[in-house]
This record gives sequence, structure tokens and C-alpha cells, in this order.
Amino acid sequence: MAALAAEHFAALQSLLKASSKDVVRQLCQESFSRSALGSESLLDITCSSLSVTQEEAEQLLQALHRLTRLVTFRDLSSAEAILVVCALSKTLLSTVSLPRLVDLDWRVDIKTSSDSISRMAVPTCLLQMKIQEDPSLCGDKPSVSAVTVELSKETLDTMLDGLGRIRDQLSAVASK
Amino acid sequence: MERASESSEPVLDAKSQVTSQLIDFQWKLGMAVSSDSCRSLKYPYVAVMLKVADQSGQIKNKFIEMTIPQFQNFYRQFKEIAAVMETV
Repeated sequence: MAALAAEHFAALQSLLKASSKDVVRQLCQESFSRSALGSESLLDITCSSLSVTQEEAEQLLQALHRLTRLVTFRDLSSAEAILVVCALSKTLLSTVSLPRLVDLDWRVDIKTSSDSISRMAVPTCLLQMKIQEDPSLCGDKPSVSAVTVELSKETLDTMLDGLGRIRDQLSAVASK
Repeated sequence: MERASESSEPVLDAKSQVTSQLIDFQWKLGMAVSSDSCRSLKYPYVAVMLKVADQSGQIKNKFIEMTIPQFQNFYRQFKEIAAVMETV
């Protein structure tokens, strides 16, 4: 399955000129089919609705064709899902954002003894998070910082509670 | 989140030289509706702030913003860790 390259993301920028979400949605749907890439009429529609050159329109349709196929291959079938993926593409989100978590590694240890306690079996978690600063602020090489925390079972349970609450909120919002 | 109570780990611990303690974890669920590059958005995100204290006691705030799928993955990993901690 063809992946999306940097130039595809750049081409998707043309979508920003769309006057409405419906235009974007329509383009996603039209560009999906195999015949989309050769279609003169689709090219014309794209040029006029986005006010872009033929070349830009062509590149956009190619990128959208790949993107929509990639999305479908991963079983997101509705137009809405395709829109979500588009919205999440680096292009449309090249906006103000906070640092992102790029990696989460962990290890569970068991403390079996210490100088003061000869036998015990206390599980503990070592968690390392790699955080990348806002790329738009750092140019080519955004800095990645790592933070390693040791979590007791108690702390972990408290965190899980919090995360569960976020999950509940998400369901509540989604059902509206 | 309510402050987790003091951990009962022994103080003398080589790992604590390189690891920090998680003191607090705050979160917010938001929706970006518009930006300079895209007029109409409907982008939900989860923003998390971790308060960690290193060995010297210095407190640092770590901010992270996640998309919903990233958050779900994040949650899933924690559930996995908890499951492992439960069984060992």
C-alpha cells in the first residue's frame, strides 16, 4: 500500500482553500475511485472550487487518492472518517500545538529486598516518555526530551482512574 | 487527580538518581474549532500535564497534547502496565 510522502502532505495544503467542509468531503469521495486520477472533469472542478492551478489540482488529487485509499484499507469507511484523517494530517494541523508524546516505554520491576527489608515483592513501574516540542517552533530538528518516572502501583491506579475519566468524557461527548 | 499519597519505597534506591517521581497529573479534553491555517475545525484533543519531581526535588511540568487515537493508545498502555503489575 503506497504510503504518504512529504510532498503529498504539501499537496493537501490546497484543501485549505476550500470554502466549506462539504467541498473537502466531496473531493475526498470523488478522488477515491480508480478513475479519479485520469478524470478531466474532476480536475476542472478541483481547479475552480479551490482556485488552484491544474498542476496543483493534479497533485492534490493524487495525494487525496492515496490518502483515501490508505484510510479505507485500514477500515475507516465513512466520509467522516476520511475527513478526520485529513484533518489530522500534518498539513491541516500545522498550527499552534503543544508538545507531543512520541514514545512511551516501560518496564515493570519487582523489588525483592533492600538493606532494611530482606524479603519483599513490591512491583514498581519504570516509565519513560519521550516528548517532542512543537515542531513549528524548532524548524528542522525539534528537540525531544525524555522523562523517566518510577510509579508505584498506587500511583498507577490513580493515573488509570484519571485516564478512565477522560475516556468517559470522550464517550459522553461522542454520543452528543 | 487527587495527590497520590507518599510511596512506601525505600529512599535509598539507585534508580531514583535517574528517575523522577510523578507528583500530579492534570488533564483536559478540548476541541479546536478554528486556527489560522484552517477556518473550520472539529479537532478533539487531550492535553495532559505531568508534574514530576527529580532527585534534587526540583519540580518540572511536562505538557503533552494528544489526538484521541494517541490518547486511547496511551490509556491502553497504562492498562497493560497495571495488568502486569497485578500478576507479578
